[in-house]
Amino acid sequence: MKKIGWLTGGALLMIITLGSCRKDPLNNLTNDESRIYISNYDTTANFSSYTTFSIADSVDVIENNQLTGRERSSFDSTVLTTIGSILQQRGYQKVSRESSPDLAIAVSRVYNTSTGVFSYGDYWDYYGGYWDPYYWGYGGFGYYPPYYAVGVYSITNGGMEIDALDLKNASAHGNKITAIWTGLARGEQTFQTANAAAEVQALFDQSAYFKH
Amino acid sequence: MRTFFQYTGVAAVIIILACPALHAQNSLEISGGYNINIPTSSFKDYISHPGYKGFNVGLAYPINDQLRVGLSFGYNDFYQKYPRQVYHNGSGSDISAVVSNSVQQLPVLLGVNYTLVKKGFIRPYVGAGTGINIATLDQYLGEFDDPHTRVKWAVKGEAGFYIPLSSTSTTAIKVGGSYNYMPYNSDGVKNLDTWGIEAGVRFPIH
Repeated sequence: MKKIGWLTGGALLMIITLGSCRKDPLNNLTNDESRIYISNYDTTANFSSYTTFSIADSVDVIENNQLTGRERSSFDSTVLTTIGSILQQRGYQKVSRESSPDLAIAVSRVYNTSTGVFSYGDYWDYYGGYWDPYYWGYGGFGYYPPYYAVGVYSITNGGMEIDALDLKNASAHGNKITAIWTGLARGEQTFQTANAAAEVQALFDQSAYFKH
Repeated sequence: MRTFFQYTGVAAVIIILACPALHAQNSLEISGGYNINIPTSSFKDYISHPGYKGFNVGLAYPINDQLRVGLSFGYNDFYQKYPRQVYHNGSGSDISAVVSNSVQQLPVLLGVNYTLVKKGFIRPYVGAGTGINIATLDQYLGEFDDPHTRVKWAVKGEAGFYIPLSSTSTTAIKVGGSYNYMPYNSDGVKNLDTWGIEAGVRFPIH
């Protein structure tokens, strides 16, 4: 019976060793294929009811749940410019933030070295109000996510987040600035300037409802 | 699970009954083979490509010239990448991703094998086995994955033929096919059923 035990153990060890022959899906992905684009919108929002928008002149940089500053790198500049172009193509008018825009567009670069379930609720809990509402001319108002959304994805690198904030109805909503749309790009080389325009385009392409 | 214990119990009883014969003949056999497994049933909806990385090894106890009982271990790897697509979840959330599905199966089965004829260049056989399937499902959205490993019940039915390599020993080449019934019922996947094609060799250990 001892021989049988050794043979059985050896067979099992052999199979486990062969198991290391598993084809690793990550080795079969290009950088473009590694990226995912997640968009969420408020299903009660009427996107055609907004006519004007304004874009922040720089992006928030959030590292490990801390707002570390605002920057405008070449990547950021491309993102902000591309968003402006797409929204204008979709019938919205770009105005300055002093001109009472209907929508405010905020962009963030989020870096997180932890892993776990990604939650838009957590995102807003951590970073809500990252742009002082005074920036948009809504001092004393608070930020609120459109709803609590959860992504079942590990956060092992950074992501680019775009938020469309409803300024038009903030007063009617009880001094709440609500996000009616959020877009998130994650994956390899997300922050490469060469990929910026394509990432923004991908997020808006899958959000055809976002038009005037 | 009750059914699993029923089938496994029957297989265990067969092996226990076979022990006296094992001691009498003292001709334990070892086998190994390569197999290609083709997803079928609802497993095809998850991965439709055949798994070309399939191996199996086993130990068998000849009860007589035609009937053997034994324990087998297998390994099967499946993988498929789907082009980028936008997935809607119906509540205002859309995800654009290249989805890659990766599945590894590690079946551990107690089984019986019956050779239909005692003599001849080609000796047809039929067999059946039951046990556990240690399955890992890993779905990647882009580079982000969500792996799950679960132990489930498994049943295998097989048929094929042996080609003896010697008239004085039980060494033989084995060629056959199998149906692997592997219910899963987790993570949105109902089963991991496959058709299998196998080629291998069996030889006695003295």
